Amino acid sequence: MSSSVDPITLAVVRGALETAQREMTLTLEKTGRSSVFNLAHDYSNALFDHYPEMILQGQDIPIHLGSLIPAMKEVADYFGDDIHEGDVIYHNDPAYKGSHILDCCMYKPVFYQGELVFWTVCKGHLTDIGGPVPAGYNPDAKEIYAEGLRIPPVKLWEKGKRRDDVINLLLTNMRARRDQEGDLNAQYGACRVGERNLIALLDKYGVAEVKACIAELKNMADRQMRSLIAKVPDGEYYGSAVLEDAGHGFGDMEITSKVTIKGDSVHIEVQSPPQVPYFINSYEGNSMSGVYLGLMMFAQLPPPYNEGLYRAVTVDLGPKGTLCNAEEPAPHVNCTTTPMETLTDAVRKALEEAAPERVSASWGHASGINIAGIDPRTGEQYVTMVLASIISGAGATQVMDGWHACGPLCCFGALSSGDTELLEYSYPIIIRRYGLIPDSGGAGMYRGGSGTVWEVEPIDHEMTVVAFGEGRKIPTMGAAGATNQLLEPKLGRLVIQREDEETVYKANTIESVKAGERVANFNPGGGGYGNPFTRPPENVLEDYRNGLVSLDAARMEYGVEIDPVAMAINSEATAALRQQLSTHRV
Amino acid sequence: MRNRYRLGIDAGGTFTDFVLAENNGSLRVFKSPSTPHDGTIAIKAGLAQISEAVQRPIEEIVQECDLCINGTTVALNALIEKKGVKVGLLCTEGHEDSLEIRLGHKEEGYRYEADFPPAHMIAPRHLRRPIRERVTGTGDVNIPLHEQDIRDAVSYFKEQEVESVAISFVWAVRNPAHEKRAKEIVQEMMPGVFVCTGSEVYPQVREYTRTSTTVVNAYLSPVMARYVQKIDDYFQSLGAKSPVRYFQSNGGLAIGEAMRGRAVNAINSGPASAPQAGLFVGQPFDINNVITVDMGGTSFDITLTKDGQTNLNKNIDFLRYRIGVPMIQVETLGAGGGSICHVDEYGMLNVGPESAGANPGPVCYGKGGTRPTVTDANLVLGYLNPKAVLGGTIHLDRDAAIQAVKEHVADPLGISVEKAAYGISTIVNLNMVNGIRRVSIERGYDPRDFALLCAGGAAGMHITALAEEIGSRTVLVPKVSSVFCAFGQIISDVRYNYLASEPMRLDDHANLEALNKKFDELETQGREHLISDGFSNSQISCSRSVEMRYVGQIHECNVEIHPGEITREKIASVLDDFHKRHEELYTYSEPHNPVELVNIESTMVGNVEKPEFMQVAQRGSTAADALVEYRPALFDDDGHWTDTPVYSGPELDVGVTIDGPAVVEEPTTNIVVRPGWQLVLEPNNCYRLTRIN
Repeated sequence: MSSSVDPITLAVVRGALETAQREMTLTLEKTGRSSVFNLAHDYSNALFDHYPEMILQGQDIPIHLGSLIPAMKEVADYFGDDIHEGDVIYHNDPAYKGSHILDCCMYKPVFYQGELVFWTVCKGHLTDIGGPVPAGYNPDAKEIYAEGLRIPPVKLWEKGKRRDDVINLLLTNMRARRDQEGDLNAQYGACRVGERNLIALLDKYGVAEVKACIAELKNMADRQMRSLIAKVPDGEYYGSAVLEDAGHGFGDMEITSKVTIKGDSVHIEVQSPPQVPYFINSYEGNSMSGVYLGLMMFAQLPPPYNEGLYRAVTVDLGPKGTLCNAEEPAPHVNCTTTPMETLTDAVRKALEEAAPERVSASWGHASGINIAGIDPRTGEQYVTMVLASIISGAGATQVMDGWHACGPLCCFGALSSGDTELLEYSYPIIIRRYGLIPDSGGAGMYRGGSGTVWEVEPIDHEMTVVAFGEGRKIPTMGAAGATNQLLEPKLGRLVIQREDEETVYKANTIESVKAGERVANFNPGGGGYGNPFTRPPENVLEDYRNGLVSLDAARMEYGVEIDPVAMAINSEATAALRQQLSTHRV
Repeated sequence: MRNRYRLGIDAGGTFTDFVLAENNGSLRVFKSPSTPHDGTIAIKAGLAQISEAVQRPIEEIVQECDLCINGTTVALNALIEKKGVKVGLLCTEGHEDSLEIRLGHKEEGYRYEADFPPAHMIAPRHLRRPIRERVTGTGDVNIPLHEQDIRDAVSYFKEQEVESVAISFVWAVRNPAHEKRAKEIVQEMMPGVFVCTGSEVYPQVREYTRTSTTVVNAYLSPVMARYVQKIDDYFQSLGAKSPVRYFQSNGGLAIGEAMRGRAVNAINSGPASAPQAGLFVGQPFDINNVITVDMGGTSFDITLTKDGQTNLNKNIDFLRYRIGVPMIQVETLGAGGGSICHVDEYGMLNVGPESAGANPGPVCYGKGGTRPTVTDANLVLGYLNPKAVLGGTIHLDRDAAIQAVKEHVADPLGISVEKAAYGISTIVNLNMVNGIRRVSIERGYDPRDFALLCAGGAAGMHITALAEEIGSRTVLVPKVSSVFCAFGQIISDVRYNYLASEPMRLDDHANLEALNKKFDELETQGREHLISDGFSNSQISCSRSVEMRYVGQIHECNVEIHPGEITREKIASVLDDFHKRHEELYTYSEPHNPVELVNIESTMVGNVEKPEFMQVAQRGSTAADALVEYRPALFDDDGHWTDTPVYSGPELDVGVTIDGPAVVEEPTTNIVVRPGWQLVLEPNNCYRLTRIN
């Protein structure tokens, strides 16, 4: 121990911070109004100290948390001396280091005996933020101004007084106002629950001791990360990933990363093409999340997390005006998934080169839908991002198959798809199918997790469907020599059944669907790990029995011959096939 | 009590506990090692002990029992060890994977861990068969039932030697006709095979929860049925007058007949009788708000009861399986006397969840343990007597405990042994306090309003410190604390929950007629059930709750309502209660926004007459008569040892007060009375500790 704080108090303070954050999350989940909050958990909570540095990052959505670090500093800077007890600040704008404008973030300064000691922070994905397209994903936007309402840092409560005029201004600009208002209240409740906990902690130990403990907690995280980095040989490592053209016509784009390890610190440089007039540009805050997620996939550290983890890390996102370091007026709403997941892959790939012993395969990227319309049961407008439609497969790791239905990459299992009956209760739809997709998991010694298909039919009305994302042309990256042969089932796609005609969409699109017609959104499986010919044939047979791997895939991807009637492996044929295919593929 | 005896048998992980209450007010306690492979062996052994102690043949005793009650871990063990039966699931086509998708979520705490495995599938994918049918949220049939699909699926199940069938269709909770028909076909094609449907097992909205609950029930019920059969037969052979009662996770009793098909109702029955026991013990002191804490060797179980009503859980992950049916909320932590203390890679002191268990046990037991445990720290702190644990049968090696604490905690942290030992105690208390927050603050209750009730061998050493942490001023430690759950069971009632969904907005158009009708149906059904169990109308009582939320919310708040006709006026007061509850829980309410009701529940109780227990008479002795010795003990982290009086619990007279600091030794537990607390033994054989400053 190098610190002067009492180790017992330190442990108590750590526990109290975790409890405060946990109770914030619980409040949001239980009181959130939109399905994105209360079913899907697309929100994140964090605690900051007075600097402000993040002192506790919860178990929530990775894509939110990295961007909170610069955003909090930006917001505090904006108000400078003008921050008072009872203030509550709101913000979503990426130009102030927000992620995308749907992610609205509330910041509550916590004062103790007149001194600013903490911030409780709560970010959540609202179902709508105004603009021309319900739910915010507007593929036609050429500029950020065409995407929806930008909220620079603004006070919703000032010295304890609710600014009804400002809140009204915000809500007036949003669809499904009651949902948005309920979610805003839920965020307020979460911030206050966090504040209540922190004040109790200060009552007990006093400001000085709590601050000393927090400083030590950050130092500990720093030491932890540095000891991991120090084990990686010094050098420069490169990774790249290709972002497919999801229908915008600007072609495929390559994002590369250079990771420089020097002693116990790491420098990450990102290179990406110039920004484009399409909603896949990522501003600085969001790109930091992408980089940090790639780093955490390498570090695999157990909680708790705080800003100390990133002290050993410096990041250069490339020149302003590029895809991963966008500036006004670049449109950006798709950025939390695209290109963020490709950026994460590029960083993950460079770290794979640096430390092959720690690698896992990548996870399926988000290719999902938003839905909107007028609910014929009430005549009220509804709009939502369908989180169930982006639940992709997880990547295989060095020790096991990937989890089915756990993605997408940017959320890393933190999302929840919501219960079928509750979704049907909330929206005028029938969910025809919510299931795993055969042959969608990447082939490997360990198989990638299966992606999911979400198929829906509107009831008695016409429904708008907005498809966003990618992963419909380039399959999820495997690791350690995993290769795929059957690509089609591993990719995302949108399929609309209209009367007798079935249309497959591989590009982002806005479609209208009538009662009796059906929309099915397929999203990708996770990447495999290792050479598929080394997968034990009995595991392939088990996957076949469970309908997760077809006979063709068993043969082509794994070199396993199955007798479907006997439900048994033909061992001789398998050995011969594996021999033949290996030679052939080399 | 109508008859002379009442017998309670609680099978725990290590011991099976027996309590025999007699109508003269006496209570006898016995223990026998558990035999998980065949629970009846432990029961026979225990009954033999009873027979010998009472000096009568066991048949006579059993025949003179008004009730024989059994709490069993059969279902729990089968779930933990994955030893249920082979289950096939029939589900709506397109929805056969909801069980495996698990809402697409990975549990908290493992976000970036590469080796955390997916949950175990009771019904693997090939045994989850799609059936073409569909009901909508209004209960209308959208796709009629394709019976041939069921026949094909069942043929496959037979080929696969499936032993139990679960049926769960989307929205069957609004219209169970398809499930009912499917069940008939399964029964016809697979006679004798257990089959259950979602609308029977958990008739509430939420397809995933209902399907998962139904599958777990199908997995465990045949195992439970075999056990119940064995026990029922055995007690019948002894000439028992009434059927054996089994304890359920909802804190109530059920007859074997009800248990066979609803094993999922018993998966966490072990600790579920604690609230009942807590209320009973607190009754003479008018205590209706109780938090019970039960700390044994490896775990720490917490429950909360407010105004006589115990927290229930619905729709939770239990051992990674989603379970809907109401269970007493039991917060279980890996914090027991055997919990191991270590300094982690961050340089942070941690206690548990790893446990030294009974073997090798704490370092001080001298059975090969090398890493310090909570018990070792308590020994170092002077809370335990090295010479007399478990009635003097085990001698503890304090020097070895000191050495282990020094080597594994004090030295790595650069602090003294005293500070380290006190720190271990502080950390374990902190973990327990966080557990208590989950049952109290997270449910909108202020723990300062509660008495702490202490059970289990290890809790007494932490209880006053815990009470100080949560701000509670009253602690109760009953002498029966070592067989607390068995004791809770013999004073419990028969209790069944009847659930239904009746979604409606609670505005002027609310269909109160439908609501009243639904409650009537549930309660008529419940009453009939209890009458067939042998209760008379006057012994049956009923309570109701409704789950409400603001329109658009998904999670409900539970609000109690009084039985009887629901009128507009009543709804108004229910709405007030709801806004208030929302505010307690989440710091705000929205009285101007519309509220809807979703699920309703009637709890039907068959009231069982409680045994009368003897009051302990005063002997007229003083505290000094019970004084054993003075021993140095630590009560603060400043390292200052206090010469502390140690009293023998069995020698202590009723009504004598003892001021802390003090230690009271009982054969199975030690009570640490911290400075600022006063202890007194009450006539109901319970220690009461009060914060006096």
